[in-house]
Amino acid sequence: MGLHTEKNLPVKAAASKRAVWRKRVRDNKFAYMLMVPTIIFMLLVHLLPMIQGFWMSFLKLNQFTLGKYLKAPFVGIDNYVGLLFNSDNPVRQGLNFAIRNTAIYAVIVTIGVMVMGLMMAMLLNRDFPGRSIARTAMLLPWVVPSYVVGVLWGFMWQQNGIINYFLVDVLHLYAEKPFWLLGPNTIWAIIIPTIWRGWPFLMVIFLAGLQTIPEDIYEAATIDGAGKFRQFWNMTLPMLKPVIAVQLLFQIINNVYSYNIVSTMFGNGAGYPGEWGDLLMTALTRQSFGYWSFGSGSAASIMLMFAMLMIVGVWYRAFRTELNTQ
Amino acid sequence: MKKTAVSISALLMAFSVVVSGCGGNSNSTNAANNGGVKEESSATTAPATSKAPSMEPVTLNAWVMPNSPKPDADFLKTIDPYLKEHPNVSVKVTVLDWGSAWTKITTAATSGEGPDLLQLGSTWVPAIASMGGIDKVTDKVADVGGAEAFLPAIWKTTSIAGDSEVYGVPWFVDARAIYYRTDVFKQAGVDTATAFKDWDSFKSALQAVNGQTVDGKKIAALGLPGKNDWNVVHNIFPWIWAAGGDVLSEDNKNVTFNEDKGLDGVMYYTGLAAEGLVDKASLEKNSSQIEGDFGDGKSAVIISGPWLAKNFATPKANGGMDDKKAAKNFAVAPLPAGPGGQATFVGGSELTVFSGSKNKEATWELIKYLTADEAQKAYAAVSGQLPARLSLLESPDLDANMKAFSEATKYGRTYPAIPQWGPTETALQKHFANVWDIVAGVKGKYSRESVKEELDSAAAEVKAIINQ
Repeated sequence: MGLHTEKNLPVKAAASKRAVWRKRVRDNKFAYMLMVPTIIFMLLVHLLPMIQGFWMSFLKLNQFTLGKYLKAPFVGIDNYVGLLFNSDNPVRQGLNFAIRNTAIYAVIVTIGVMVMGLMMAMLLNRDFPGRSIARTAMLLPWVVPSYVVGVLWGFMWQQNGIINYFLVDVLHLYAEKPFWLLGPNTIWAIIIPTIWRGWPFLMVIFLAGLQTIPEDIYEAATIDGAGKFRQFWNMTLPMLKPVIAVQLLFQIINNVYSYNIVSTMFGNGAGYPGEWGDLLMTALTRQSFGYWSFGSGSAASIMLMFAMLMIVGVWYRAFRTELNTQ
Repeated sequence: MKKTAVSISALLMAFSVVVSGCGGNSNSTNAANNGGVKEESSATTAPATSKAPSMEPVTLNAWVMPNSPKPDADFLKTIDPYLKEHPNVSVKVTVLDWGSAWTKITTAATSGEGPDLLQLGSTWVPAIASMGGIDKVTDKVADVGGAEAFLPAIWKTTSIAGDSEVYGVPWFVDARAIYYRTDVFKQAGVDTATAFKDWDSFKSALQAVNGQTVDGKKIAALGLPGKNDWNVVHNIFPWIWAAGGDVLSEDNKNVTFNEDKGLDGVMYYTGLAAEGLVDKASLEKNSSQIEGDFGDGKSAVIISGPWLAKNFATPKANGGMDDKKAAKNFAVAPLPAGPGGQATFVGGSELTVFSGSKNKEATWELIKYLTADEAQKAYAAVSGQLPARLSLLESPDLDANMKAFSEATKYGRTYPAIPQWGPTETALQKHFANVWDIVAGVKGKYSRESVKEELDSAAAEVKAIINQ
């Protein structure tokens, strides 16, 4: 928390640690008092629901047992076993598609927004007339509420919508107008709008990162004969690595937990987006609240949480050095 | 270190006491609704209401769905006379979108935190009742005239099948019927007196109007939404019923919609799209877009509910479509009879008392008002929905369109009133959505076999749900 550093404190035995703590609390009474409401709040809104969710994943929870949900029949790890091994389990059948789609979606969207964001940030980092206007204009997609994005693109993707008009009537890329909201194309119908909406945020972040890189090292590199590409590869990218690291994590979490776009584009959360449109969050919502398999739903959420923790672990190992030197 | 651990655990315990306190409360109200501790709940509410029930100021929270163009204003307008007579009562209306209402209501039923007055779709009542989310009103329904006063098909859904307890009072009814363009049918030389008689005449009528040129544009015969809609199940079942099929067996223990007759119904209905009588682009649209398309003259026939007639009579400035050509050239006809007879989907909504409500008496008084003649008539007029009261449904002053719908309610059917209907409908929604993918040609080839396969997997899932 950076309240104060441990450097001046000598390493002592365990017994004196208590004294150190006491002194620390005494010295910073006000700071700790300020923290108390936050800690209480965090416990209430984060820890308790998490414990409850964890407990629910061991219960047989359906509409009949839901009324007294903390006292529902205990079934141990049945919900987990059902999800992992029982091929008749409807929750599991739905999840196979959702996991595949979420993996494709999260990877493409994350790469897409980062690459787009970085490219646009590099473009806008140069000095040219109208630069500030361009920066504001670029932010437009990001300002559009996600609900509107879903509804708007839902119209544009329709078979006789504007996208097919461009693809077929103007560019002649297809012989027939394809469906985008039915069948396998659905995955693109959710990926592309998400990238469209997401990259301006990355652009802002990268722009801020780029501006911390001093101009003179580029001048030095140019004098030494390094080309633009080499400068980018050997200077810009490494200097941006901490920013990239944080944004990568942020994007992965954001995209794996994506819900709005599918929900608004396909029947406002009531419809089934199909085998290529369902994401983990929409599937889990449907399984929990549509099928009332609240126990299985919790189990799936807990498993997703652990998968996410593993991803974060891998991420942390990959970027440990960059994050610690900053 | 130890000390901090102790204090943290003490803190946690304090919270768990607070939380289990809340949990305890909601449990006891739930128990009361399940018939257990009746005294307890009346003891807590009695002092507030018994002294002077009409004087204590109460604010009632009402959750309604968008049943009309201006849902909250229309609702308040309907109860305005009641509010004037009861100055101590004020009503706060929250409008839930149909698409997300299900999630919100089940969440409310779970937590006990919700409204006082709750509108429920007729198919949801048995489910929410079995969750303990709404109160029994069995001993009160005599106040509103009881079962005889309401349309039987909708009254059936106020109870759980096989149980005599009543959980809601029918508020309004909707039925599905055919809207067709009178001018287009005339132009194509189709006799509307016989066109909607049975499946064969209906299909040949559609073939005749398909591709007619209206105002320089080719019109599609039929507009129907595919899968991205909450209506998917309601759109398909009338055809299964008309073919002689049913959702479940008589005793609600076996699944029957995937048997031959049910499959006939699905094949006939989806066949209309597969055979080119539907502009395939409409398969990606939802019901309201399809209705808009009909208004815009893109299709000659659609199947919809009474609200569309109301929409055509509403000025454009108020969000209606009265300026469209279709608004002046449409008529309503019943769904054609199939081999198993005539059928349509009758839905509607009921008014229920939320079990977490603290103002149950006042809520019931409001329900009594809303389901009596005056308010039924007023709400039918502003919403375009049908009244649920038989005396009003059979009244001679209904206009021609409403008469057609009132006629439709006579052969209207509803789903089995089982507590598991919620999950069942979710499963059906999913598999019927896949059927539309097949029809659109993006998931295998459209054939009796491929559709049968999808219906079979739907049946397997539904069977697991109803036998759980």
